[in-house]
Amino acid sequence: MTDTGPILLVEDNELNRDMLVRRLNRAGLEVISAGNGQQALNLMLSEQPSVVLMDMNLPVLDGWAASRQAREDERISHIPIIALTAHASEADRLNALEAGCDDYATKPVDFPGLLIKIEKLTRA
Amino acid sequence: MATNTRAADTAWGDHLLRAIIQLRELFSGRQAELDHEALEDFSRLFEGADRLQRMLEDTTQRSNTHDLMNALAAIRGYGEMLREDIGPQQPALDETLSQLLEAIHAAHSAHTGNGVGTAQPLLQAQKIQSEPGFILAVDDLKENRELVARNLSRMGHFVVTAASGEEALHALEQSDVDVVLLDLLMPGMDGREVLRRIKEHPEWRATPVIIISGNQDMDGIIECIEAGADDYLFKPFNPVLLQARIKAGIERKRWHDREEQYRQQLERNEKFIRATFGRYLSDEIVTDILERPEGLELGGDLRKVTILMSDIRGFTTLSERLAPAQVVTMLNRYLGAMTDIIMAHQGTIDEFIGDAILAVFGAPKRGDDDADRALNCALEMQAAMSTINARNEAEGLPVVKTGIALNTGDVIAGNIGSERRSKYGFVGHPMNVTSRIEDLTAGGEILISESTLRSLRGNFQVGDSQEVKVKGIDESIVVHQIIQGVT
Repeated sequence: MTDTGPILLVEDNELNRDMLVRRLNRAGLEVISAGNGQQALNLMLSEQPSVVLMDMNLPVLDGWAASRQAREDERISHIPIIALTAHASEADRLNALEAGCDDYATKPVDFPGLLIKIEKLTRA
Repeated sequence: MATNTRAADTAWGDHLLRAIIQLRELFSGRQAELDHEALEDFSRLFEGADRLQRMLEDTTQRSNTHDLMNALAAIRGYGEMLREDIGPQQPALDETLSQLLEAIHAAHSAHTGNGVGTAQPLLQAQKIQSEPGFILAVDDLKENRELVARNLSRMGHFVVTAASGEEALHALEQSDVDVVLLDLLMPGMDGREVLRRIKEHPEWRATPVIIISGNQDMDGIIECIEAGADDYLFKPFNPVLLQARIKAGIERKRWHDREEQYRQQLERNEKFIRATFGRYLSDEIVTDILERPEGLELGGDLRKVTILMSDIRGFTTLSERLAPAQVVTMLNRYLGAMTDIIMAHQGTIDEFIGDAILAVFGAPKRGDDDADRALNCALEMQAAMSTINARNEAEGLPVVKTGIALNTGDVIAGNIGSERRSKYGFVGHPMNVTSRIEDLTAGGEILISESTLRSLRGNFQVGDSQEVKVKGIDESIVVHQIIQGVT
């Protein structure tokens, strides 16, 4: 695991957000969080997180749009994004990847699996 | 998000809520043993569970999948953390958490289209067709009560809930409950005590009780079944199993109700029969009629009986000299004593005509010893006269003597009379002949006809015999005097 920056968790549901922050902290990871896509983009710019865990259904700016914008902004286009999607459907997964996400995890997340994905992306 | 879900109608929703309820119950008992961090995680988990429950219960406003999945995700996350942290020290909580996680997994698969299998229990539950019943669900936990009520209402039952033993007893008093679902562990009056009171209550006793136990406490269940519980379920229960047991309970209750109705009808019939026949039939015969109604024909049949007729000699003249009250006292004393003796010998009293008694042996119940019983009865009646007379003398009443005649022959026995007034009675020539023989008796004497003599099986001391020509009868008859005071 690199120590380049914290993990950015983008999740509008505070219950779920709190839970994931707590879990990631327990796994020894520093976490910052955002509640919508716009906040996420702002934090990506200011904090340069090592990886973004992005929920797709977000207010203000949704996860797909935020991911697309991140990919178009060269200041942050290198930051890997893991899409957190409530749906395991092929379409959702493809939409996320099309929007520029590097990987995806379906909710409820398989936490050990998520950690592996985080590690894989931050190491690369 | 376009996809909406009707989660309250799904089997996984019930399954999940049951797992949460079980976890809550277990948690409330164990929280003293947990550290701050675990308590915090539990409180978050339950917060998620509350949200989930609100979403599942809100059938009018369909919750969207996103919210539902978020709640599931949160519950799952805290559940997994708790298993990691406290699982090794708290095997019971660990097991319940693992069930909860399985339920979440099922919920999740159901939502991602892989949940073909999870829809199965719901279909099965709908297949169980049950007569709607009135169910009393007793549980101290609100979530449990609501879950059961939701489940059973959906099946068409009418559900009332009680949060304590006291409330349960109150509900039982208020309404005619078909089945009681009873949680074993409750503060205050617990399930065992409620069960005991139900089974002690004359009207509630037959109400089926299904015990619900949170922990797999088989000993407790056995104890309850011994105490009269009908069935049991462990939490979290399968809705199909719940429905099947409720159905069986309702059927049991319905059977009992029908049985009770039938029993009450029988009781009314019995009362009627006793009231109608009791005055002139011995208890034994009434009981016999009630036990074997088919063995007795009250409709009218020709049968051989021995007729007993007794009469106080010179009573009419005597009564003219006494005050009416004295006559009644004397008669009641005499007839009371005679009735007891006749009934003791299983005779049927046909009627009292003033001081005369007409009794029949052999109807409605036939016996091989009808004549013997009639004669023994007559002997005892005569023997009882000394006691009656001793009491009469003590009260300044006259000494009376009775003559008794016995005759045996075929008579028609049955309910005779009009629709308004009928009674089990006897008609036939032998009745008249008995009356004529009775006219011949002297005070204290027993005369029997030739036919009665031939019907006797035991040994009796027969005295003088005489052939007599009696009024209204063409042929002459032979009568025999019975010598008393010998056995």
